[in-house]
Amino acid sequence: MTTKWSVKSKLLTRRLAVLSISALMISTLAACGASSNPPTAKEAGKYEITPGDPFSAYKDEITVTMGRVTTANPKLPAGDSYENNAYTRLVKKAFNAQIKDQFEANGEDYSRQVSLAIASGELPDMMRVDSKDELKELVDNDLIEDMTEIYKQYATDNIKNIYDSYEGRALDNATIDGRLMALPATSLDSAPTMVWVRQDWLDLLGIQLDADGDGAIKLEDVEKTAEEFLKRDPGQTGKPVGIPFVNTLNTTDYNGSAYTMLGVASTKGSFPQYWMKGKDGSIVYGSTTEETKQMLGVMADWFKRGIIDPQFGTRTFDDITALYTNGQCGIAFGPWHIPDWGLGNVKQKDKNAKFTAYTLEDADGKVNVAHANPANQFIVVRKGYEHPELAVKIVNLFYDKLANDKNVGTSMPEAAKYQENGVDGSTRPFNIEVNSATSLLDDYSDIVRGIKGEISLDQVRTTESKNNIKSIQTYLSNMDTDNVTAWSKYHSRINGVGLIDKLTRENKFVWMTPAFSGTTPSMKQTWANLTKMEQESFIKIVTGAEPLNYFDTFVSNWKKQGGDQVIQEIKDEVASKK
Amino acid sequence: MKQGNDKAKIRFGTGAIYHLMMLPGILFLLVFSYVPMVGVITAFQDYIPAKGMLGSKFVGLKHFIYMFKLPDIAQVFSNTLVIAIAKILLGTMMAIIFSILLNEIRIKFVKKSVQTIVYLPHFLSWVVLASVVVNMFSLDGSVNQILAFFGLKNINFLGSNTWFQPLIIGTDVWKEFGYSSIVYLAAITSIDPGLYEAAGMDGASWWRKVWHITLPGMLPIILLMGVMSLTNILSAGFDQIYNLYNPVVYESGDILDTYVYRIGLVGRQYSFGTAVGLFKSVIGIVLLLSANQLAKKYTDRKIF
Repeated sequence: MTTKWSVKSKLLTRRLAVLSISALMISTLAACGASSNPPTAKEAGKYEITPGDPFSAYKDEITVTMGRVTTANPKLPAGDSYENNAYTRLVKKAFNAQIKDQFEANGEDYSRQVSLAIASGELPDMMRVDSKDELKELVDNDLIEDMTEIYKQYATDNIKNIYDSYEGRALDNATIDGRLMALPATSLDSAPTMVWVRQDWLDLLGIQLDADGDGAIKLEDVEKTAEEFLKRDPGQTGKPVGIPFVNTLNTTDYNGSAYTMLGVASTKGSFPQYWMKGKDGSIVYGSTTEETKQMLGVMADWFKRGIIDPQFGTRTFDDITALYTNGQCGIAFGPWHIPDWGLGNVKQKDKNAKFTAYTLEDADGKVNVAHANPANQFIVVRKGYEHPELAVKIVNLFYDKLANDKNVGTSMPEAAKYQENGVDGSTRPFNIEVNSATSLLDDYSDIVRGIKGEISLDQVRTTESKNNIKSIQTYLSNMDTDNVTAWSKYHSRINGVGLIDKLTRENKFVWMTPAFSGTTPSMKQTWANLTKMEQESFIKIVTGAEPLNYFDTFVSNWKKQGGDQVIQEIKDEVASKK
Repeated sequence: MKQGNDKAKIRFGTGAIYHLMMLPGILFLLVFSYVPMVGVITAFQDYIPAKGMLGSKFVGLKHFIYMFKLPDIAQVFSNTLVIAIAKILLGTMMAIIFSILLNEIRIKFVKKSVQTIVYLPHFLSWVVLASVVVNMFSLDGSVNQILAFFGLKNINFLGSNTWFQPLIIGTDVWKEFGYSSIVYLAAITSIDPGLYEAAGMDGASWWRKVWHITLPGMLPIILLMGVMSLTNILSAGFDQIYNLYNPVVYESGDILDTYVYRIGLVGRQYSFGTAVGLFKSVIGIVLLLSANQLAKKYTDRKIF
């Protein structure tokens, strides 16, 4: 009996040993793959036709795999895809580089794909990561290329000027231990969150908003309009819905503020999720302030009265967009560019749809906004990829050459056509924006002067503005046009950016400068839990599952379960920078 | 001697074929269940993918301690238990009742079609079914329209912490009871018809026959299935809940697997996720062993 068992157990041990050894081999192999020597900028030259040139093609065709951030309705012409479209073909033609998509996803799915790619160690050659946290993790794990030398050698002067217009803020954010580890997206001030209201419905029901014409309305105006829309159902769907909000509730990036509470928050001077400086100079987390409590009070009241979508919390982002498209709702919170990718669908379905953009003012008639945190989008290159300089070249091609070439129609006809037709920018290899700090209002002024004929199209700074002028002129000549692009560009530029321009000139904005952005060491363990707690608590308060005073419980729990420590770490980090 | 050899060969020959048929299953188990077990060590590390399991720093029980400190974990545990137990109990009961009733149908055609119809949902993925459920149970869905017809108040099933659990349990039982009744039907057909005849002679009613013959006859299978399902007691159905839940119902719908997925994989806290997963497995194996012992003690039948 004993012998039998020992024979068995020996066999078992041997098998287990083989098993664990093979598992270990797999993990060591994976580790080996990641640690080859990075090619220097000089070495890159030997593959190139004109070594070291910012626009040089490769002698032999190369392949680059990518993680791509997509959008629900990219308006690609039939037959084209994210992997094979005018822009990727442009990269092939210009650099002899073939783009292959390792994964394509949008929204939360994309972050998930990136997480999985990092976890499995199978990074695409290039991809966008959406947080400093992820960037740091990639650097700590030695998974991505150092771009310092490559950027210096390959970036064009225009690109360098664009990044420099942020006085270091843009590149600093992608710099870790003195090395540039990624190509960052730029983040210009694009505040405020606007309230987009169906103008055709207002006209139909005879409601007049913003009587003083300053572009800013009060909370009560939104309230009344929403109630009218609910009562009288101007979309004639039979099932009108209150204002929908996303269950992620808030954001610290105005560009991502679609369907968030940020607009309501601004009327109370609240800045949820921002790190701010308190009155006594201490660091305060914006979601835990008295102002945020007041904001939640408004939201809870709205929910009770049906002004907010009764299915708040359960709808996905796309579900919400569909509510507008179906004509069930006519009030949308969002950034200036929401007509370009969201509300355009409304026009497609309902030819009479028109939107006007307002912003919300506080009781004193001021518009509370926050300065943009540095962009948290980074293009990273996998460690060991043979042609890291290709990333810089793609940035050169799209954000310098394509943006500034006066003869883009003849030099890059296919891409030019895309821009004219309003194909979504996410179809470019890198779904980021790289433009100078003042470009939003600069472009606006170009567009307005271009339309008025004060400057000729040749004097307009960017290709995009040129296209926008053409689109807007199409719209102005026939406001009932079926051309959705013309409609969108008019709405986003003239109504959206126009409002920012007006509010800036009239000095309506009260700016808050965030005290900190990014992550601290203890956040790695506690932040996921704290974020979940915040999200759940806010939803409960809004939906009335908990009374408003539950907010105080949330704040004390938040502090106890790691918030206080995070604040301490931020204090130390801010102090060490002085 | 020679003859004997031949016999052995033949026996080995047929046996080998059956053993070969087991091979894919064993390989599957090896690759997907045993090899990943090596990864359990990451629960005791601050695991960093690039450094691998050998290079990452060992931190002892840090992640387990953090897990028990989290106020959410109790909620997540109780959600998991409530949903899983309810699914097992209701699912088994429905399957038993259904198989007994189905067995009474004498017309073959009706029996076969009913069988096929109730099996069907089992073969549909939750990704597909979730959108059907969402459509039916949303505020303007058909269920609420029926409620409104009877003058009842509308219910936001997918956003209500009262209704979410019943919804999850109910839809899962609906999806699976037909398929799990196959085993019970087989058990019923293996009962000696002579017993029924004898009982009939003694004047036993239908109820009596079910109670004293059918159910005891099925008992070994019910027991077997019960013990087997105990291993699942901490798996309340990731794909179902993942496709149906949202932040509003985290309180009632968040289970261990969804929690581990969100915090561990999406939040990239791999070691913490592994720690919670390991904890779950340990409880699973303890339950399995004790259920097996209980089964032996009370019924003298043992699974392994």
